[in-house]
Amino acid sequence: MNIPAVATALEVRGLSKHFGGVYAVENCSFQAPLGQVTGLIGPNGAGKSTAIDLISGFKLPDAGTILFKGRELEGLPPHRISRLGLVRTFQAPREWPALTVIENVVMARWDARRESFFQGVFGLGRGQRAAAAEERTRAREIISELGLDAVRNERAGSLSGGQKRLVEFARIRMAQPELVILDEPMGGVNPVMGERMAMAIEGFIATGTSVIVVEHNLPFIERVTQHVIVMAQGTVIAEGPFESLRSSQAVVDAYLGEVVSDGKA
Amino acid sequence: MSAYLVSILTEGSIFGIMALGLNVIWGWAGDFDLAYYGYVAIGAYMTLVLTIGPPVPPAEFILGLQLPYPVAVAGAVATSMAVGLVVGLIALRHLRGIYFSIVTLGAVYVMYVMAGQYVRLFDGYNGLSGLFDPMGDWFGFDYQTYQYFFLGLSLVCFVLVFLFMARISSSRFGMALRTLREDERAAAAFGRDIYRLKLKGYVLGAGIGGFAGALFAAYLSAFNPSAWSPVEVIVLYSAVLVGGRGNIRGVALGVLIMGVLVQESTRFLPQIPNHPQVVLALRGAIIGLVLVLFLRFRPQGLLPERRYIDREPAVEPAPQAT
Repeated sequence: MNIPAVATALEVRGLSKHFGGVYAVENCSFQAPLGQVTGLIGPNGAGKSTAIDLISGFKLPDAGTILFKGRELEGLPPHRISRLGLVRTFQAPREWPALTVIENVVMARWDARRESFFQGVFGLGRGQRAAAAEERTRAREIISELGLDAVRNERAGSLSGGQKRLVEFARIRMAQPELVILDEPMGGVNPVMGERMAMAIEGFIATGTSVIVVEHNLPFIERVTQHVIVMAQGTVIAEGPFESLRSSQAVVDAYLGEVVSDGKA
Repeated sequence: MSAYLVSILTEGSIFGIMALGLNVIWGWAGDFDLAYYGYVAIGAYMTLVLTIGPPVPPAEFILGLQLPYPVAVAGAVATSMAVGLVVGLIALRHLRGIYFSIVTLGAVYVMYVMAGQYVRLFDGYNGLSGLFDPMGDWFGFDYQTYQYFFLGLSLVCFVLVFLFMARISSSRFGMALRTLREDERAAAAFGRDIYRLKLKGYVLGAGIGGFAGALFAAYLSAFNPSAWSPVEVIVLYSAVLVGGRGNIRGVALGVLIMGVLVQESTRFLPQIPNHPQVVLALRGAIIGLVLVLFLRFRPQGLLPERRYIDREPAVEPAPQAT
């Protein structure tokens, strides 16, 4: 890399996880720069999803170190990692279906004090009400920015796939983590919405959230990322700006004939 | 007011408290708990052993402390919550859905067998009795007046529990419980400690169940394993489902329909000569039928869960979709 010292949002060293005799992730190391969008690509079975589960605490690694804000994350449960400022999404949208869009967005912010049983139920102070009003105003702004105004009061379960993704994006904006990992955000989304999704991702960077995005849609990766990590068979095989990867033989081999260069993979 | 009306309204209020407790566990946190009636029973048993005198042989039971009724109620609630905590610690840790239900079924069976077979605890199948008109002597009520007093007490308790639940329903704590029901992985990804939060809801529900049990013990003045039928929990579930799972007004309506109207309707059917048990059996059949019809045609219940509707105008014009 020609830039000597880029601050990192996340650093993974020697991460490994096997299921039975099969290594899903093996000695995987990479860094995601702070304030940038990092793409994580690779063929099916490359170990991308497992890597995300390990980083976010949904699975326990067998070996390796995950460094986030100078802290080691391995062994921490998902909610602790989330509270440190690392939020993830899932391959399928995981909205809270019976809650409305605005409720989904408001509840994306975790508030220890107000969510406790005694404060929440017996705390009647004006401060409480002001905090709730402030929160709803913020949620409303985010919903507007993402163009979800019309469905603000709809139950999230009744939305289209693309709208559900935007609700997830709105939740992330509300939570304002330092790093978000998006697992296939374009999955099940009408390609027409691609530009809107790309702009939403740029919105994360603008609000101080670094992004790691796992995606099979390579034109989308090219459009939104500054840095790309390529995984195959559980480990990192190439790294660099998207442009530089087109010519990498290892990347082309990993995709086994999947066409990378014309962006139709 | 006829004695009959007084008794069904009293029962209805107590039943309403039970259903509101179940609504925390199933309606909000989303766990199909089959142990729930166990907490009601523990509440009833504990109230009795804390208020009635020491056992006279051959009867055997623990405590027999002759405490004032309100103190006994507090003790009963605390015991139900403690047992709920133990069951919850085990069942909520990793198990969900049907696996959770099976473990709670096992737990309630253990409670039932303990109460029935371990005679030194609650005098086995004889059960406990002798809690007559608690707090009545404080005011010097006669039998007739006391029935009205106890109806009033039950109604006030129901209203207080209802208001408490309304407060929880609109609180962030209540919303957080619902996020667990809706998608707990997403709840964890946004900072919720699933296990702790579920446990809090479960213990709260068990405590409300114990409270209802404490009132029930005073109403029946006795409790034994035959008062504790497995069907009761199904009637409670049917009330929550028919009224509207997650909506406390719905739960109250469901109790009125399933717990009061359906329960009592069979009383007015003509008896079939020589087969007195048929009409009683019809009650269960009607409850089952209503349950099936609602599950098929209106699973959200008569009053679906309320959602917060944001009526503020949009903050700014939405950017045009691309």
